[in-house]
Amino acid sequence: MVATTPAAPAVRTRRRTDDGVMTVGRSRAGTIAANTAGVIFSLLMLFPVYWVLNTAFKPADEVLALTPTFVPTHPTFDNFLSAFKAPLFLQDMLNGLVITLLAVAGALVVGFLAALAIARFNFYGRKGIILVILAVQLVPLIALLIPLFLMLQSVSLTNSLIGVSITYLVLILPYTVWTLRGFISGIPRELDEAALIDGCTRGQVFWRIILPLTGPGLVATSVYGFIQAWNEFIIINTLNSPEKQNLMAWLLQNQTTRGTAWGPLMAGAIITSIPVVIFFLIIQRNIATGLTAGAVKG
Amino acid sequence: MSVVESTTRRTGGSTPHRAPRRATRTRRRRQPSGLPWLLSVPTLLLLAGLLGYPLVRMVVLSFQNMRLRELLSGRTPPWVGFDNYTKVLGDSTFWTVVGRTVAFTAVTVVISVVIGLGIALLMRRVARGVRLLMIVAMMFVWAMPQLVAAQAFRWITDSDFGVINYLIDKLPGVNYQNHSWFVNPWQGWSVITTLVVWAGVPFLAITLNAGLTQVPKELVEAATVDGASPWQTLRNIILPILKPLLTIVTTLSVIWDFGLFTQNWALRDGHPEPEYQTLATYSYTQAFGQSRYSLGSAISVITVLLMLGVMAFYIRQMFKIGEVD
Repeated sequence: MVATTPAAPAVRTRRRTDDGVMTVGRSRAGTIAANTAGVIFSLLMLFPVYWVLNTAFKPADEVLALTPTFVPTHPTFDNFLSAFKAPLFLQDMLNGLVITLLAVAGALVVGFLAALAIARFNFYGRKGIILVILAVQLVPLIALLIPLFLMLQSVSLTNSLIGVSITYLVLILPYTVWTLRGFISGIPRELDEAALIDGCTRGQVFWRIILPLTGPGLVATSVYGFIQAWNEFIIINTLNSPEKQNLMAWLLQNQTTRGTAWGPLMAGAIITSIPVVIFFLIIQRNIATGLTAGAVKG
Repeated sequence: MSVVESTTRRTGGSTPHRAPRRATRTRRRRQPSGLPWLLSVPTLLLLAGLLGYPLVRMVVLSFQNMRLRELLSGRTPPWVGFDNYTKVLGDSTFWTVVGRTVAFTAVTVVISVVIGLGIALLMRRVARGVRLLMIVAMMFVWAMPQLVAAQAFRWITDSDFGVINYLIDKLPGVNYQNHSWFVNPWQGWSVITTLVVWAGVPFLAITLNAGLTQVPKELVEAATVDGASPWQTLRNIILPILKPLLTIVTTLSVIWDFGLFTQNWALRDGHPEPEYQTLATYSYTQAFGQSRYSLGSAISVITVLLMLGVMAFYIRQMFKIGEVD
């Protein structure tokens, strides 16, 4: 039940407590100071984001001006056009999409099965599997890069989209299992049991109850996976040559090769970030409520 | 790096259902154990093949001497015993890098957690509109890919056309025209630290703020009535309740910051000078820059060993707070 409306309970709690805390002996001057601090903090946080946007919409001569303009007086799309026309940009965008979608789809299918096992069955070795899944998420990726590179090279999977897709699949798999586990255990077990009593087979319980009810969870999980695979550039930059890379790796390459072409670089950065930012904002509620759910016992 | 990031985002929407689950636990035992293992097999195979095997291979490599010649010919590299380790551990450069990584982690984690907690507390005091503004601002920062954020900072601190130099130059009596932020490593590392703190605060502040909503208001009110100062209320009531969450987010920050790669890599254009190396970039540069794959592996093994304590602590904590049952 919570899996379908994850945000609702948290919002209610927050509002209730807020009013309580706000009324506890606070001076007017203190409140004004707090609000001012909040606004200043927000502006400081937003400044780098704003500066990227501002730069991307400036004409080239304004980008490289000794006195920077803080408001784009002559907004232009030139930088975006030149990013799109830059060598390999579209190619790498397409690669990134293919790799990310393959990895996410694979991780969802494989991860869902394992999540089902962990969430719905109590079996010998369950704790061990959970331990493995938690532990592998902490291993620094860079440490594994050397053997991974040698391994994929020995089976001729370097410089191929398939090799990277499989690597990303494994990269997002532990967390996919972990998140889906949370969503599946949110479905009341009584539903399964009622269905079994009514004559459903185990398979029917899966197809008719668990899968549909995990729908929102599957969406959230695949979005997280998408963000991770889309943002990755170290592995792909090491394994593949530029025409087989993704947009993040493109950005890294172009930061050095294009020198001071800041306008197109920032425009490219914006295009690269757009899918991630949109996806992130859609599912942000799950992120904040998820972690505290277990960590703080109210 | 991104693997680790996932840990925080994992439990989307999994508000615990402890009570009903406990009631059905006895029934659960009756289930056969063949099916769950069958369901877990694909995941376990993939993890073993692409995470487990490389991990073993990394340890094996660190006892061999794999150079470019062995890589190209495909011959088994010669075994060299502990040579790589004695070489790494006897190298003062390595110890400088270790010291730098530890110092950076300590400084950055302390600053991030203090600011994160401060902002979380601030969010409880401001008007609703201001709080919304703060959340929106932080969400945009949080959503920004690491590499893009690093490039934004690279542009802002650019020596010729960077806006920071322009603004600082405006201060009376200061000449910051064409000032390069990375000549002096202390300044360069302040830029990197600022970037990491800026990018890390949203996660900390929003998570801790969500945790603060669980502090019972009656306790805070009672303390105020009894004459406790705001500082005493924070120290004696809020922090103890927040402690489990604070421990988790601090541990995660340690793990992430210790593995710093993207930020110093991108800000130094993919060729960090010796003063800008961290353990992660050092190992990478040794392996892929200098084709010393075995030496790089040995550094990685040492890095993982250094982190092992923190990781074990994190996992134990996860089991302890009942997130895992």
